[in-house]
Amino acid sequence: MSRLVLVRREQAVSGGQPLAFLIGIVTALLIGILLLVISGHDPMAVYERMFDSSLGSPRSWSITLNRAVPLGLAGLAVAVAGSMGLWNIGAEGQILAGAIMAAWIARIGEGWPSPILITIMLLASILGGALLGLGPAVAKAQIGVNEIITTLMLNEVALRLLQWLIHGPWKDPESRGFPLAPILPDEARLPDLFERAHWGAVIALIVIALFGLVASRTAWGYELRVAGSSGETAKYAGISLKRKIMTVLVLSGGIAGLAGGIELSGNADRIVEGISAGYGFAGIIVAALALMRPSGVAAVALLFGAVQVGGLSIQTMGVSSSVSTILQALILFGAIGAGVFSKYSIKRVGKEQKSNAGGMA
Amino acid sequence: MVPAIELKGITKRFPGVLANDNVNLTVEEGEIHAVCGENGAGKSTLMKILYGMQPADEGTMNLFGEPHTFNSPNEAIDAGIGMVHQHFMLANQLTVLENVILGAEPTKQGGLIDFDTASKHLEEVGKAYGLTVDPFDLVESLEVGERQRVEIIKVLFRGAKILIFDEPTAVLVPQEVEELFRNMRELKANGATIIFIDHKLEEVLEIADTITVLRQGKTVATVKPADVSATDLAELMVGSELPTPQITDAKISDTIGITLDNVTVLDEDERPIVDAVSLEIRQGEILGIAGVEGNGQRELVGAILGTQKISDGSIFLMGDDISNKSVRSRRENGLGYIPQDRQEEGLLLTAPLWENAALGHQTAKPFSGGWNQWFIDREGSRSQTERIRREFDVRTPNVDVSAHALSGGNQQKLIVGREMVSEPSVLVASHPTRGIDVGAQASVWEQIRQARSNGLATLLISADLDELIGLSDVIVVMFRGRIVAQLNPSEITPRSLGAYMTGATSEENPA
Ligand SMILES: Nc1ncnc2c1ncn2[C@@H]1O[C@H](COP(=O)(O)OP(=O)(O)OP(=O)(O)O)[C@@H](O)[C@H]1O
Ligand SMILES: [Mg+2]
Repeated sequence: MSRLVLVRREQAVSGGQPLAFLIGIVTALLIGILLLVISGHDPMAVYERMFDSSLGSPRSWSITLNRAVPLGLAGLAVAVAGSMGLWNIGAEGQILAGAIMAAWIARIGEGWPSPILITIMLLASILGGALLGLGPAVAKAQIGVNEIITTLMLNEVALRLLQWLIHGPWKDPESRGFPLAPILPDEARLPDLFERAHWGAVIALIVIALFGLVASRTAWGYELRVAGSSGETAKYAGISLKRKIMTVLVLSGGIAGLAGGIELSGNADRIVEGISAGYGFAGIIVAALALMRPSGVAAVALLFGAVQVGGLSIQTMGVSSSVSTILQALILFGAIGAGVFSKYSIKRVGKEQKSNAGGMA
Repeated sequence: MVPAIELKGITKRFPGVLANDNVNLTVEEGEIHAVCGENGAGKSTLMKILYGMQPADEGTMNLFGEPHTFNSPNEAIDAGIGMVHQHFMLANQLTVLENVILGAEPTKQGGLIDFDTASKHLEEVGKAYGLTVDPFDLVESLEVGERQRVEIIKVLFRGAKILIFDEPTAVLVPQEVEELFRNMRELKANGATIIFIDHKLEEVLEIADTITVLRQGKTVATVKPADVSATDLAELMVGSELPTPQITDAKISDTIGITLDNVTVLDEDERPIVDAVSLEIRQGEILGIAGVEGNGQRELVGAILGTQKISDGSIFLMGDDISNKSVRSRRENGLGYIPQDRQEEGLLLTAPLWENAALGHQTAKPFSGGWNQWFIDREGSRSQTERIRREFDVRTPNVDVSAHALSGGNQQKLIVGREMVSEPSVLVASHPTRGIDVGAQASVWEQIRQARSNGLATLLISADLDELIGLSDVIVVMFRGRIVAQLNPSEITPRSLGAYMTGATSEENPA
């Protein structure tokens, strides 16, 4: 009997990643055709709408970009922690913390010159996210508490804080009972870049590029890489794992917090419960797809943003949200799956392997 | 008689390297066949091909006359081939029995592991080959030689008739080597066929029935041990006469490089694993530590480096108290370190060589610094790596390949070079020439002697007693965490030293 096995290639196919990405997406679209036909839609019309609404015009690009900004920053946050083998599952809460801090600055800074106000808001949002990252960072570095659990728990804490604020002290008196904070003053809003896109895209890109540069070119980034790939080696090379864990988790939180600040100031214009729309969790997928590399994060976030925008828009032509969600997942995972295949090759194995014990004694 | 193994025309290329170049190897059934060659000659590659870990680009393989191709070690195991890896692949927290059956668990109905059958079978295998270990011991409690025996039993348990050993003696002390050789002869008497790799030529001549020599990926000779001397073998390996190293005089100065004053390290159970050790190494002096692995050497090294907390005592580096300093500050202040396990502690296998050359020195010139001390100086790092490659004869196509592409011995040379070119004032060297071929070993010794005459204070730990005796100015023996003897290398032999190490002799009751 012969069967197929995955064999790790000794060397990844050069230039294989982008190619695999494309092949994966195309395969996903082909499978998607089947799905759409079965559910009674015209696949070409659906795909056309998906594309037009997300990447078909400057306007749709601007919508996609706005979506990609929080995804990219959240993805970077997860990737920063991931580069040391740590999982920050708390980006969602850190985004909320960032947004809360920024909103608070906007409240006390009403009337300040816009550039100053926005700058302080964004710095405060970084601080907010970083503060939320600090707890898990200390717990992990000092006593080895699993960061997955602590970061996850803090999501709940941040959400509760936000709910309390918008139901209580920050509730907009003019919201007719709805739990909403007041709309931000104009000077607290990020200016537009083009169409509906705000400057957040530029900030996010700079932050991602900056981290990429630091990670690949500085001694600090080098040590991060060493610590991430072998704790034992790092120890002997004089790299303090505790310090690295601390900085990485706090930095990760800060970056996610910035996503919250930008989302508030650029897009949401007020604190509402759903201000994050799950960006923190989506960031985990973004980072995983980008193989924890900053360079990949920007590209994946853009793709993810486009898929989300496209997926939302086809719902207006009657495609159910579940079919749309499946389609989005197909495209994303098509891309991951193909990425894996570029590292492995398929081999036919001649005969069934047995592993029964039987000595020659 | 059909040979057990017949490899014909095996060729294996890696980017920029021809690792095996039309290699032929014939191993008769029931013989012990040694494969010798310089670092990077292609020995491990050939064994990995035989064991199904890597496919050959060209060539054929016959086992007992039958053609075979393996896509994975599992297929090789099914065909009766077993490999004992140089780096043990055992789970320390499991018992011997659990380790042996891992991956080949005999099961009862309902999928439960049949431990009774397994332990009976283990006992049979052990008896048949004269290999004794308690199946219920935890692997972490075993000594190196015993762990190796577990690896051998593991392979036999799966029914291997052909055993491959990649540098099995590198980690053993002489007594353990003798034990291993007894086991190998027993295996042979029971019909097993053994292929093994070894850089210590006396050992090869002692145990092998046939010796195949590889040079730069080619088979250059197959000889019988009776017909050659160690020197002949070495010359076959390098293809020319070996240079005779010149002796440099020792000039031990009065300045003390490192002082350990009553250093105590406790293990998890708060028992002293390093017990009130005091030492002094002067500049220009090499102090060797002899001892069976697991007697506190590792922890002592950890204490000096700063990876291990000391509970009592103090350590001075060039006169400064470093007892509470970080690893980084110790290294920046001139402490060099050649780790005992090159892959676990000394390298980033997936990173390029030039990044590996920076390890432990990443905060100093030439790896970083210049106009902005925060950035890694890629050019500086590369040229430093080139220098290491030149001076320590690291065989590699270039300095951008990743470390896992180097042969074991060349990885070791890279690490030794990295520490030596940084010109430390104190060097802690654990098994510095482990896995390095005879020629390169002589040149590493030469480099260490050279550095000594320039004032380096060295703490040397080595399982190779010839190295320990040959290099050290003074030898101390560590046993159960204490220094039990201080010896003059010119008055001892590997044998007598071995007796001290196992606690059979001590200064109080000499042999
Ligand atoms: N995975 C790999 N990728 C690239 N080159 C490799 C790889 N494995 C081995 N090589 C190269 O092949 C050659 C032979 O290596 P091999 O490990 O077989 O040497 P060796 O004879 O076992 O040496 P040593 O005594 O140092 O262990 C070396 O030049 C090595 O750099
Ligand atoms: Mg080798």
